[in-house]
Amino acid sequence: MKRVMVSIVSIVTRSDDTGKSYRLALFMAIVVTLMIWGGGALPDTMMAVNPAQRSLAPSWQHWLGTDLLGRDMASRTLAGLAQSLKVGLLAAALSTLLAMVMGMMAALNRSLDRLVSSLTDMMLGMPHFVLLIMVAYAFGGGTVGVTWAVALTHWPRLARLLRHEAKTLVKSDYVQVSRSLGRSNLWLARHHLMPHLMPQWIAGFVVIFPHAILHEAGLSFIGLGIEPHLPSIGVMLANSLNAMLAGFWWVVLAPGLGLMLVAFGFERLGERLRRQALPPDRGSSGVSPGQVA
Amino acid sequence: MIFLLVFHTLVFSYWVFHIQSLVDAALGMRNVGERDSASGIDWVIQGVRGLSLMRLRRPLMALFSMALLCSVGFSAASVQARSLVLAIQGEPETGFDPIMGWGRYGHPLFQSTLLRFDPQMNLQGDLATSWVLSDDRLVWRITLRDDAVFSDGTPLTAEDVVFTFNTARDADGLADVKALKQARVVNDHTVELVLNKPRITFLNELVSLGIVPKATYGQGYARHPVGSGPFQMVEWREGAQLVVKPNPYWYGQSIPFERVTFVFGGEQTGLTLARTGQAQMVAVPPAQADQPPEGMHLLSVKSVDNRGIAFPVVPAEGQTTVSGAPIGNRVTADRAIRVAVNQGLDRDALVQLALNGHGRPALGPVDGLPWNNPQAHQVSYDPDAARKTLNAAGWVDQDGDGIRERDGVKARFKLYYAAADSTRQALALGAAQQLALIGIQVEPVGASWNEIKHYMHQSPVVMGWGALSAGEMRNLYSGATAGQGYFNTGFYQNAEVDQHMAQAEAAASYEDSLAQWQAAQWDGHTGFGVKGDAPWAWMVNLQHTYWVSDCLETGPLQIHPHGHGFPITHDLPSWRWTCEP
Repeated sequence: MKRVMVSIVSIVTRSDDTGKSYRLALFMAIVVTLMIWGGGALPDTMMAVNPAQRSLAPSWQHWLGTDLLGRDMASRTLAGLAQSLKVGLLAAALSTLLAMVMGMMAALNRSLDRLVSSLTDMMLGMPHFVLLIMVAYAFGGGTVGVTWAVALTHWPRLARLLRHEAKTLVKSDYVQVSRSLGRSNLWLARHHLMPHLMPQWIAGFVVIFPHAILHEAGLSFIGLGIEPHLPSIGVMLANSLNAMLAGFWWVVLAPGLGLMLVAFGFERLGERLRRQALPPDRGSSGVSPGQVA
Repeated sequence: MIFLLVFHTLVFSYWVFHIQSLVDAALGMRNVGERDSASGIDWVIQGVRGLSLMRLRRPLMALFSMALLCSVGFSAASVQARSLVLAIQGEPETGFDPIMGWGRYGHPLFQSTLLRFDPQMNLQGDLATSWVLSDDRLVWRITLRDDAVFSDGTPLTAEDVVFTFNTARDADGLADVKALKQARVVNDHTVELVLNKPRITFLNELVSLGIVPKATYGQGYARHPVGSGPFQMVEWREGAQLVVKPNPYWYGQSIPFERVTFVFGGEQTGLTLARTGQAQMVAVPPAQADQPPEGMHLLSVKSVDNRGIAFPVVPAEGQTTVSGAPIGNRVTADRAIRVAVNQGLDRDALVQLALNGHGRPALGPVDGLPWNNPQAHQVSYDPDAARKTLNAAGWVDQDGDGIRERDGVKARFKLYYAAADSTRQALALGAAQQLALIGIQVEPVGASWNEIKHYMHQSPVVMGWGALSAGEMRNLYSGATAGQGYFNTGFYQNAEVDQHMAQAEAAASYEDSLAQWQAAQWDGHTGFGVKGDAPWAWMVNLQHTYWVSDCLETGPLQIHPHGHGFPITHDLPSWRWTCEP
């Protein structure tokens, strides 16, 4: 245990670029744990409507004030971010998984390649947010709709990148040897492609993640996402438009800043990971995971 | 901070501009040339309107008014002397055709009606100079004034009245004139309306149905109404604004405004217009009503606009409506649950929470109206009584999870509310919280009206009604309206209640009908009140809140029916501007 702690401390305190990345990763991990734990563990009384405490300015009792229905903004923001994170994680996981499968399929089979390429082009050719709205609407809105909408619209760029990488790998000698030894495509994918695509995949995941969070908020904001009485950043921002005109500035402060902070943090983390996964001298592929979303 | 806000707004509006133009183009709602000719904000709002099918409209509207706050520059800015700009919402989806329901609540503005209520709710003739019901209560004989002229210059005759009533009877619109057998012309200025059977509330049709011209009525009328009312249309741009001017042929007093503009589009649009001094009257949500901007004051109008919970009262046995919507709920089918909900609701707290105090508790559907029976709805906030009611009926919490159960059925239900309506949302949340205290678990579900339509016979829904006619009770509680539209969603039926209401309809006069209407609510041993079957739990009566310019004198106002919008224009011709132009 002690050795683990020491090694963690030594990694995190490294003064080079890697140390910075690890520090950022550790910080974001703490933020995520706090939110997911905090979102579930909040006492009901903080989330409850309360006619006696409507639209209170920030105070010691309510650090970030209360909203129009007397609910504590700090608790609501935490719960909303937790909700966003859950949707973001699930959507990003689904999306990158899809990209991985597509990329490998394209590299291993010529006719599938054509299919994947045209599918990718088609998806990229459509306006992003319109596509999101249509998918979310088709799935009936709500948490499920938002998750699918983000998952089904964010894979193409990563898929294109992974396809390129996988194609390079397939041409290499050891893969060719394996193939001539009669290994199946599935075996090749599992043993030769997947391990090598992992770094890009992880970087892609972290880059897509903040986009997923932002899109969840966006869809909820326009009323296609999470139900309006549940805590969600998008819903809170939409409601706060009314409150702001009445002068209740704190109602927009907490969810707005929280969303910015989380999204920005992950963006930075993704950027760092991208640099680690794809050092500048390997930038030959012409596409980088930084552009996947 | 301000930078962040502006940034958010810009990013979101950028997205939305994209969506709206694309969806707009995809739906082919307007061609590009037409769009270019309109000023910026108009086509933006117009485009957004196309999205309303996706229940996006309200938040999008909010967005636009925020984003364009700095650049509002449409005709409202160039208001001339003695023109009014009103942002009171309530744009009719189906246009301004009385036969399709326009003017049902309030006054039809462009058309005139046979009768009207004065602010004290006394009946007055409008087009009619006399109205007499025959002794068998089947024939209304109505004499018309001879100076009524449509805004296109043609005189209004008995033919037009007969045409309007017969068309409304045959149309599948909202106008409830099904009781009419036939309207017929007696002479140029006299008509007879013959009913199928006696129906005293038919009087309400004489008050609410605007008369349309027989000669020019047809397709497109709803967009270009011609009537004999106080105003005529100048232009209507859907989702943006309606401009009207006085009808020079109107028989009433002279109107001191040369133009009245109704601006539509979201609560924020109105608030913004008020804050920038561009509107003289704005409908504001109660939560924001208490801080009117300088030069305006708060006008809070009493209304019978109510909100309550409509329960399914039949048990679920797998039955469905024609369209496949499931019917019945095994929890709310038990009267004890419905009564306990009535006892467990702290209505005063709900008024504070959802209406910011601008309302009053509602115990029945017709609170404060002449046909109300206060005895039927005697209920007060009493959680202990609610617990006793539930215990007595066998609903007991045996497993200690805070939710009562009986025969393995948990005392819980979903409570649907219209997701776009913040007041209903607050009511649903407040009710859920209050009912948890008596061991009933309520799960609020925000949904579009389309979704609600599917589930409303199976789950309780936050509904709102409120008409100035006793006929409303027949709509909500009669076995004949079970499953019809939004009326009796719970499939409530009680033969004795139906009997009382039928007798009320058959009464010799309005005054005579009141006793029977009251008996339908509670006649000593049954009724649709809380004391009886309790198919509803009424929560609050709204007050309609407006910000009004200090210079605008509206005079006495009628008690408002359902609808925070056009009803306030009922007496618009008699409004006065008290400042220098």
